[in-house]
Amino acid sequence: MSGAALAPAQCFFEDVEKGVALETPGITLTRAHVALFTGVTGDTALRDPDAVPELLPLCLSSGLGWRLPRRPLAVLAFMGFEWRIVGAVRVGDTIHSVSLTVAKRSMREGGVIIEERRIVNQRGETVQSVKLTLLVARRPVA
Amino acid sequence: MLSFGLVDAQPPVFFEELSVGQEFTSPGRTVTEADIVIFAGLSGDYNVLHTDAEHMKSSIFGERIAHGLLGLSIQQGLASRGEPAAAHGVLSALKWKFKGPIKIGDTVHVLSRIAGKRDGPDAGRGLVTVERRLVNQRGEVVQEGETEHVVERRKP
Repeated sequence: MSGAALAPAQCFFEDVEKGVALETPGITLTRAHVALFTGVTGDTALRDPDAVPELLPLCLSSGLGWRLPRRPLAVLAFMGFEWRIVGAVRVGDTIHSVSLTVAKRSMREGGVIIEERRIVNQRGETVQSVKLTLLVARRPVA
Repeated sequence: MLSFGLVDAQPPVFFEELSVGQEFTSPGRTVTEADIVIFAGLSGDYNVLHTDAEHMKSSIFGERIAHGLLGLSIQQGLASRGEPAAAHGVLSALKWKFKGPIKIGDTVHVLSRIAGKRDGPDAGRGLVTVERRLVNQRGEVVQEGETEHVVERRKP
């Protein structure tokens, strides 16, 4: 970073509040999403054309977080996660995610955040649940 | 019926035919700038880690890196070309760790090992757990974890 003027506005470790549910806008899953995603993965499994690949809602949920009315999280590294499917997702479904920071741990280089995220369909049913571990930057000293 | 890339001429494998300890190696795939651009557009994740080459010059990585979930997605496709075609082998859960960056031009492949088998959601299906490692051209494990699949049992 060459100067403070270039620094993008971000949500730093200090700004993250524990226990506050963040609900994103929704996104409707289309055959175009499925085709693009299958092109990226190269998954050769033949599927029902309206079945959504299992990992696609998870990938889309990372972008849904960017549409929250807050500055984007200053993620330094995505460390890992546990994920499970609770229900099927089909083309035509509209999903959004609900996230909650359940733990914050300060580290020398930044801080670790544990986030629980549910991916929810248009009927309010949880279809996937994820527990993510993220390394987030501290606010730079002015 | 699912069919998997290089082995798609073979009949699907049922739960009974998979055994703990079996190992598989996938083909390799070179991760390109285009993969990262498409994944950013598809997912909507435009983090500077993946999209701002100038910003990343001064980062610990020195350049843009692939989204962790892009590496996972590429891994899923590679594994489908390396592991046997499981009858209706739906991915149902995973535990995953990101160990190191994937940079533009890196070539990755997947090493898989069947780690466990147990009863599934009903009498007709079992659960298979697979340990998978995503390895780069220098032999470094960049991602690893365990995937769980629902696999059909052979009809009696």
